[in-house]
Amino acid sequence: MSIKFLDPTYKRSITDFTYAPRLESFKDSVVAIISNGKRGTISFFDCLETELKERHQVAEVVRIIKSNYSTPVDSLLLNDAERWNAMISGIGD
Amino acid sequence: MSEDNDNLFAAQIYEADSYDAVQERFYTSRWTDGLPIIPPTPDIVRKFLAEALVPPDHLVGVEPVRERAIIAEQLAINAVMAGCVARHFPVVVAAFTAMLQDKFVLHGATSSTGGCAILIVINGPAVQFLGIDATFNVLGSTDRATTCIGRAIRLSLQNILEVRPGEADRSTLGHPGKISFCMGEDEGDTSWLSLAQDRGIPSDTSAITVFAAGSPRQIMNEWTTNPEEILDTYVSEIKASMLNYSIHAGDWAIVVPPQLRAHFERAGWEKRQIREYVKKNAWVMRKDWASCGKTAVIANQGERKYFALKSIDDLLVIAAGGPAGGFGAVIPPWFGKTSRAITMAIGACVDCEI
Repeated sequence: MSIKFLDPTYKRSITDFTYAPRLESFKDSVVAIISNGKRGTISFFDCLETELKERHQVAEVVRIIKSNYSTPVDSLLLNDAERWNAMISGIGD
Repeated sequence: MSEDNDNLFAAQIYEADSYDAVQERFYTSRWTDGLPIIPPTPDIVRKFLAEALVPPDHLVGVEPVRERAIIAEQLAINAVMAGCVARHFPVVVAAFTAMLQDKFVLHGATSSTGGCAILIVINGPAVQFLGIDATFNVLGSTDRATTCIGRAIRLSLQNILEVRPGEADRSTLGHPGKISFCMGEDEGDTSWLSLAQDRGIPSDTSAITVFAAGSPRQIMNEWTTNPEEILDTYVSEIKASMLNYSIHAGDWAIVVPPQLRAHFERAGWEKRQIREYVKKNAWVMRKDWASCGKTAVIANQGERKYFALKSIDDLLVIAAGGPAGGFGAVIPPWFGKTSRAITMAIGACVDCEI
């Protein structure tokens, strides 16, 4: 007996994704950090910002905080994104 | 049905040489919840789609965080697996459509460490048509429709959005409702408006309400017939949950079985009066956190007052349960108003051009 059945999972083509260009160096760059808005992110990203500036000579760190940790970042907050050289999206609890 | 139609599906088709082999394939692939499944053969899936009058590629909605377009075929496959019969499938489609509305915040509700489950409440003619029993053991398993529809939602989340434990589902604990959490309302045994009517759906229209819900907390008060005193027991449970879980206002559900319902109805209380009483009385002070070991987060805001409900419309009053016993249940929200309950007619088209 042979039973035919359908795959119940979501299949997404890997071609749906493209990587953003990688940076050679952080030096003099503008880096955005997007926090999910939970309190636990604050001190962690404070440290990260210091590290980026002091160890990697990042010129500017832009801090973005989502209004709801469970939804995508508000589009208005991304208006400035063209100016960024890199973006770090982080979570915290 | 002809095999020629199999290529209507986007999903890959596999073959196995026995029923046992199918079960093992699904279990070892993490496609199940651990219980056996009905093999989703192309023929059965086609019947489900026909019942809901939708083609396989019908767009049910888009989950914005994962950027996933959910199509009817995927839901039908998972509904078959869950044990649904074809006439259950329009309810699954309606529930998922509601869950994909922005205010429901599906990603958060299904991935949070907070561990909520999605409660589906069915109202209208569908309750009778689907053979739903909203009486004995209503928050447990009562009938095929509610058990299988609830499971279909969970399996769909697992397989379409990877909401599996340890993958997208990051629940610390979860609760038993995450296997299946679906109920009807006992509309035939009450003079009250149904939950769906309360939320704007006509009585002759079948509807679902989806609610990102914590585990039910049972209450008991068999020692009064006074509506306020009965509600004080519900309110006490709400307050306890606010202090022990989340203090923030959101949607809350209460389930009122016949024995308690009779006292309200005899006193002329409609659902609206219940909602008004709970809105007024279900609140805590931030300083009350000291009573449950949370003194550290009171800070200098001890006198701040927190209501369970922002509006009387935020209380979902559901008439259901077995005939005997002065019991009831409070069903808390997942973290306040992060996710809002959504009510939608079964068969409604959200984005159709009329």
